[in-house]
Amino acid sequence: MKLTTKQLTLCAMLAAMALALSYLENVFPLSLAIPIPGIKLGLANIVTVFALYALGPVQALLILLARCILGAVFAGNMNALLFSLLGGVTAMLVMIILSRLRWLSVYGVSVGGAAAHNCGQVAAAILTLGNTAPLYYLPVLLGVSLFTGALTGLVAACLFRALAHTDLMKG
Amino acid sequence: MPMRRSPKLRPNGWDALVILAVVLLAAACAVTVWGRGGGTGELTAVVSIDGREVERVALGSAAGERVYAGNGYTLTVDFEPGGVTVREADCPTQDCVHTGTITRSGQSIVCLPGRIIIQLTGGPADASAPDVVIG
Amino acid sequence: MRRLTVLLLALAMLAGLTACGMEPADPNTAQESIQVIAMDTVMTFSIYGEKSTHAVYAAEDEVRRLEGLLSRTDPESDVSRLNAAPAGEAVTVSEDTRSLLEMARFYAMMTEGAFDCTLAPVSSAWGFTEESFRVPSRTELDGLLQHVGWEKFQLPEGQNLTASHDEGVEIDLGGIAKGYVTDVIAGILEENHVPRATISLGGNVLVWGDRPDGTPWRVGIQDPARADAADGYAGFLSLTDAFAVTSGSYQRYFEEDGQRYHHIIDPATGCPADSGLTSVTVVEKRERDANSNILGSGTECDALSTALFVMGEEKALEFWRTERESRQMSFDLVLVTEDGRVVVTDGIADVFTPDETSGYAYETVS
Repeated sequence: MKLTTKQLTLCAMLAAMALALSYLENVFPLSLAIPIPGIKLGLANIVTVFALYALGPVQALLILLARCILGAVFAGNMNALLFSLLGGVTAMLVMIILSRLRWLSVYGVSVGGAAAHNCGQVAAAILTLGNTAPLYYLPVLLGVSLFTGALTGLVAACLFRALAHTDLMKG
Repeated sequence: MPMRRSPKLRPNGWDALVILAVVLLAAACAVTVWGRGGGTGELTAVVSIDGREVERVALGSAAGERVYAGNGYTLTVDFEPGGVTVREADCPTQDCVHTGTITRSGQSIVCLPGRIIIQLTGGPADASAPDVVIG
Repeated sequence: MRRLTVLLLALAMLAGLTACGMEPADPNTAQESIQVIAMDTVMTFSIYGEKSTHAVYAAEDEVRRLEGLLSRTDPESDVSRLNAAPAGEAVTVSEDTRSLLEMARFYAMMTEGAFDCTLAPVSSAWGFTEESFRVPSRTELDGLLQHVGWEKFQLPEGQNLTASHDEGVEIDLGGIAKGYVTDVIAGILEENHVPRATISLGGNVLVWGDRPDGTPWRVGIQDPARADAADGYAGFLSLTDAFAVTSGSYQRYFEEDGQRYHHIIDPATGCPADSGLTSVTVVEKRERDANSNILGSGTECDALSTALFVMGEEKALEFWRTERESRQMSFDLVLVTEDGRVVVTDGIADVFTPDETSGYAYETVS
């Protein structure tokens, strides 16, 4: 595939934003309320949702990988890589599928993505620990994902509205 | 080119369907995961480090304080009749300490940095079990 | 749908805020729990609050001290020295022993001898002291009963720390010692401003405050018919700040020639009480009245549970009604009968929950 300079710049910017959002999450760690280490709200999914619609699945995936790897490198924590990768990629796959269902709005897509994100993270916790104990928290996390998904959807919808009349999206 | 695909920006009935699906998934998950904990027998704390079970502590009698080390981190754990608490940990996240006391079968305390899990199994799963027995 | 989204968002943010504002640890949930083996029982003390550690060990020290005074196996104990002394000789005892002897005499009088702390020779003849069980002959029992009776030991007025007894009299305060321990521990809990605790001495329980979740403690009454089952209950009591003591024929017994002999001896006959009951639970609320006098006593529950078991259902309920009217003692009962009934007095009917799986017929009396 060919990336135009504009697209490449956009990708880099979005990756940087996603990275910033991941850091923001650490300020309000979800794990205070739900004590599973490594569990995140998934704010960076806003970027994934946006990139998915604005640029396409391949670009969105690239941004996701860049965000996860850079995030883990900066944090110096390779444990976190598995968590963000599994969470992020699962969310991504579910959102790619859901976004093809044209009748779903951005809210439905991001709620599905958030739920998948949490499933992926629980899977990562199970893998890391070699124990199914974290499954105990999945129902709670799925409940939480309804709210985080709605939040992500709202932010993404605002973004699209604001950017619809700019030429940012134009090739 | 405008957006590759312009999404619907307003929530509609189909989105509610997604929400319903997530809720159903959560409920199904809750039933299977939370429901199975029960069983009979004594409430037991299973401690595993790095995926391997290292110890089983019956909580019928107070087993007191024990120390576990995993992956370079140390956890001080209090075992009491009916509950387990991580009192102290030298890990950066302190998630395990924040978890507080776990008391019901199925609950667990997870220390990711140390790769230590303390999980409760057996014991009465329902709230109808008494706190004290006379006789 | 838009409104719904806004609502969901607001909720999500609220949830986020609550998570941030969560207290890391509530001092009231700090818990210390120890087990002490003393007085032939496994005791479990679970104490909450900032001073839980101090309170738990203070309680253990008190148990050890009281055991040292009341033991029948330790020759140096107050009780052993008193029993070993010649008839009529005044023996100096500690304040605790003396007040226990006074209470023993009081409850013997109150229950017209159904509770008696001088039954030791009879109990020994059945083998309940040394675990060498046998069935004594009628003549032997009649001989031993000559030395049984609360009037056969003396607590001289004016000499507050002495006691003496008649020829052949042996005193055993085991029937109220554990109840007394719970009274003493209640004092320790009060002194240390303990918010909540459970103190279990087998048949004697003290629950203090409420559960960490704010609901009353759930106290299970062992089902005498399923004495070996860890989860066989005759019912449950939801209690705060209360003593509960159970005396049951299932607690200690032996069998000979197909006949079962249990450890609760009727002072009138010298034989295991054949009263139609299998267990008696006495419950008293522990509180302070307007003049800050302590109401409710573990010692009283302990003495009454034995005495009412000996009396049997009819007399026990009559005793309960009389005391309720005279307002001298304020206690409530759960009686389990041999013919499969559980009788609950109406003062605790609203905090009593039957165990549906037990198969008992439940009755409330007033």
